[in-house]
Amino acid sequence: MPEKIAIIAAHDGKHINPSTWELYAFALKLKGHVRAELRFILVGEDTGKLAENLSSRTGCPVIAADVPHTKHYHSEIYKKALIHLLRRHPGAYVLASHNSSGMDYVPALAIAFEAACITAVEEIRKEGPGLCFVRALFNGKIQADILSRNASVAAPLFVTLRPGALKPLPPDAKAGPQVVHELFEVPESNVMYKGQRPSPSRGSNLARSEVVVSGGRGIVEEENYRLIERLAGIFPRAATGASRPVCDYGWVSFQKQVGVTGTVVSPKLYIACGISGSTQHLEGMRESQFIVAINKDPSAPIFQVADVCIVEDLIEFIPVLVEASKKRKVREASETSGA
Amino acid sequence: MKLLVCIKQVMESGSELEIDDSGQWLKYSDATRFEINKYDEYAIEEAVRIKENLNGVRIDVVTVGPARAADALRRGLGIGADEAIHILDETEGCRPPAITAAWIAAMARGRNYDLILTGIMSDDEMNGQTGPMIAQILDLPCVSATIKEEIQSDQKSIVVEREIEGGAKDVFQVTMPCVLTIQSGINTPRYPALSKVMRAKKKEMERISADTLEMPGNQPELRGIRFPHKTPQGLVLNGSPHQKAAELLDILASKSFL
Repeated sequence: MPEKIAIIAAHDGKHINPSTWELYAFALKLKGHVRAELRFILVGEDTGKLAENLSSRTGCPVIAADVPHTKHYHSEIYKKALIHLLRRHPGAYVLASHNSSGMDYVPALAIAFEAACITAVEEIRKEGPGLCFVRALFNGKIQADILSRNASVAAPLFVTLRPGALKPLPPDAKAGPQVVHELFEVPESNVMYKGQRPSPSRGSNLARSEVVVSGGRGIVEEENYRLIERLAGIFPRAATGASRPVCDYGWVSFQKQVGVTGTVVSPKLYIACGISGSTQHLEGMRESQFIVAINKDPSAPIFQVADVCIVEDLIEFIPVLVEASKKRKVREASETSGA
Repeated sequence: MKLLVCIKQVMESGSELEIDDSGQWLKYSDATRFEINKYDEYAIEEAVRIKENLNGVRIDVVTVGPARAADALRRGLGIGADEAIHILDETEGCRPPAITAAWIAAMARGRNYDLILTGIMSDDEMNGQTGPMIAQILDLPCVSATIKEEIQSDQKSIVVEREIEGGAKDVFQVTMPCVLTIQSGINTPRYPALSKVMRAKKKEMERISADTLEMPGNQPELRGIRFPHKTPQGLVLNGSPHQKAAELLDILASKSFL
């Protein structure tokens, strides 16, 4: 019998989250290497339409459970519901997104099922009789190949996929929906949801700016953030941003943080200064139309996504650049007035 | 109240990375320096702040690692932990988080910790699994990516904010005991106090040999590590800083950014 690949679908209650289509793309690759069938698992407050839609678009069965108090991610309820569903419908492979919820529940589920667990995976390939999963170490400076035997229900494998690692593959099948509705009684919980506090980046102009100049750890000292502001000053309109460590140190407010846990930006021009390019930062600016990176470390991962790479220490280079820009403006002004 | 902080010793951030001949892990030399994983430093600091705010708080700090990892424990004591527990495992390189979690949980079981803190992940392996796994093994609630916590006055529950995508925070009230994994930026970690460092040097640490602990099976295996393809896809500017600046300005002007 073919093994089962269970994809835990992410959604916002109304729509399937695009990260689910990344998981789908990943699952199809996995399916190419092992004999397996795909199915989705869906937990939400009102899964009826979502489940039908997901099933008919993918042609895959969907196991769905309506569970109260899951509008916002609730770790205890979510874990218990998924353990219940996966006991009823065991999977050799269980896939979820490495987002704020997946990274929370997947390691716990792996313990509950005595499964192997590989998190923040970026790629998969066949390797001998088993599988090889690629993931980043040391903030992307190193890649690791992790081997796993082909999984089975007796020795399952749980994997989280790093968002953005694979191109999403929105399915376009038109099949009759196959949905299995499961019941789950919410148990007494030691965890109570108390509400949500807005992001400090709410209301910031970062997301709307056409030019964003960001500073990272390469600024070395708080006062050097002025260099980032000076560089932003050469553009008619530019916003200043920062990588997470600079905000963690308290050098600038979290409102300026570019990244998955801050503001996701997609300006026409993004200039990364002294930012090595952690995955959480890259995911927050990868959609920028044109990227310039200034970093003294030629092996910084930021250079992999940059359109223009400048291997220099920003502390020396930005003053040179700002000065050259001033001279250029003076020259252009005199050429215009002389003409 | 008893707190446990789980820490890991990692290579100092910004170290030159070199892969060893086996291709399995990084090459260490006499010059290699190690430090406490950054996220775990935030966890220790948070524990010390709890201790400063409440009476009768004791902080244990635990690590799983080779002999050199004792330095990380000593630093933890220097920052303000009371006792240190070293689960001694001489294997270098990757250890699947399920094993680390199983060993820490085996140690913690029966010691009645009210609160267990870990960093959200390690700087080197970046798995983010150990904390949630410890919670599951001990059947405790877990809040990962904690960016704020406040123990309630009855000392029976804790209100926790966890960071989600976009920087918003979900707020939960959790009955203790529980596990929190700590996100960076929750506080500003302090340097160890000299007096405490002196005391930490002489302090007896509890040592548990990993050989005496059960190792969970069905674990993935590291085949090897490598540097990612390093050829930049974009244009690399050459020449002096002045030449690079001029060329960059030409490019920016041609795209009408200036």
